[in-house]
Amino acid sequence: MGKSSGHDDTAHDGTHAPMVQEVTDFEVLEIALRELAIEKGLFTAEDHRHYTEWAEQMGPAPAARLVARAWLDPGFKELALTDALAASREVGIDWLHDPPTGFGSPSDFTLLHVLEDTPTLHHVVVCTLCSCYPRPILGNSPEWYRTPNYRRRIVRWPRQVLAEFGLHLPEGVQVRVEDSNSKHRFLVLPVRPDGTEGWTEDQLAEIVTRDCMIGVALPRPGVTSNPSRPEHAAARPIAGHQPTEEIR
Amino acid sequence: MPNSAMGDHVSQLRPALHEFEDWVYPDGFAHSLFEAFMKNPHDVGGEPDAPAVFEEKQEEQWELNTFVTCEVLAWRGIWTSEERRRLGNVDVGRTQYHGLPYYGRWALAASRILVEKRYITLGELIERVAEVRQRQSVDGALTADPRTTGDGTAVVRNRHHAEAVGKGDPQCFAGQAGDPRFAVGDPVRVRQLPTLFYTRTQEYLRGVRGTVAKVSYETVLPEDEAFDREDLRPKWYYIVRFEMTDLWEGYAGLPGDTLQAELSEMWLEPAD
Repeated sequence: MGKSSGHDDTAHDGTHAPMVQEVTDFEVLEIALRELAIEKGLFTAEDHRHYTEWAEQMGPAPAARLVARAWLDPGFKELALTDALAASREVGIDWLHDPPTGFGSPSDFTLLHVLEDTPTLHHVVVCTLCSCYPRPILGNSPEWYRTPNYRRRIVRWPRQVLAEFGLHLPEGVQVRVEDSNSKHRFLVLPVRPDGTEGWTEDQLAEIVTRDCMIGVALPRPGVTSNPSRPEHAAARPIAGHQPTEEIR
Repeated sequence: MPNSAMGDHVSQLRPALHEFEDWVYPDGFAHSLFEAFMKNPHDVGGEPDAPAVFEEKQEEQWELNTFVTCEVLAWRGIWTSEERRRLGNVDVGRTQYHGLPYYGRWALAASRILVEKRYITLGELIERVAEVRQRQSVDGALTADPRTTGDGTAVVRNRHHAEAVGKGDPQCFAGQAGDPRFAVGDPVRVRQLPTLFYTRTQEYLRGVRGTVAKVSYETVLPEDEAFDREDLRPKWYYIVRFEMTDLWEGYAGLPGDTLQAELSEMWLEPAD
């Protein structure tokens, strides 16, 4: 965008600080849209605030809890595999009633399917068409999950792409890629790793990272966070945004 | 031939077909060229690409605001999320699809739906964008400052946002599609239907044989939902399992590797 603003844009000659930090066209567009939508009665400012509160608290902790409990309790595991929404409620996430809509989150729908790994079968989730992801129980999707690169390649070269994530699957393990292209959302239930005998649910939940539940990593004793990756910083991040290393 | 995801035309379509002449005559316009132009930009599965660095990203405040604005528009019955996906991921065309930021496309989709459904005029939006841009403070932060609060009672809204309350989606469509045509274990083949404007049936699955792994639910087709057609009958959906070696010529993994996708009855036919 050019100099459509009327403010004194003298930064070019270097004499008049302060620099005005460039606002992106998308920031401006969103503000304009939201104001018009409120003025036309499409929704209220309170609706927006209310939904933001719900969206901001989403994260992967309840999903990790679901996996840990399934490892410990065969009855709960059966529930997770046959009625994942009921199992979600047991760990504090009600897909239907938690979002302010009363009908679930519009983009995530109200259906979860848990994919059970075995010693000879490994699942990995992608949405080749956009970024469908079980947000209500796993939080917002990571940037790499949305990239065309991941979406193009994981369905065709899954073992190679998993290896790039540091996950080398042996010959005895089959790969099953789940292309999440419709209204079901998917969560991987990994195999409980050796070395966790006698652990509590809290201890187990610690090692169930977001990456494990997408299927690009395996849980390991002592590993309680996603691998360190380059992080693209935001110009004006969400207030209170956690650094990546704190997102489990 | 398993599929044409590697079709030469598709790989050339970003940003443009590299032809000497940028006009074209209708005679001899190849079917494969038509298919390449019709292919949905969001349908990238199986396209060749080199390894890249997988990154995390901090979310911008405006990205969260945009996500919430889009979801609230669906909450209040202005659109469905499928309309958003069509407008933001497909109707933008290939160049904009790959060239714009992820949530930038969400913001443009919301803009377009409000104009096209006549909730606002494009003139109003242009004026407001120009006005908001004047308001930026030194640190660049912007806040929404609506001049009034509109009367929502007269606003035209879809049925879905009311009919799904207390039920969920797709549960709100249950019991409307009759008996499912296929059962778990049935061999099926993905139909070779043409792509026109919008679909969620990936090109890499077309014509490939698979097995029904789960009878999922009933819902309106995305091809209909994306165009705000609430009057049409829901169809059954199935999770179908495919052998990787049936999907990809020269599959580089191991026999026994599989892929699953969730497809509507419209896109499936019985296989031997």
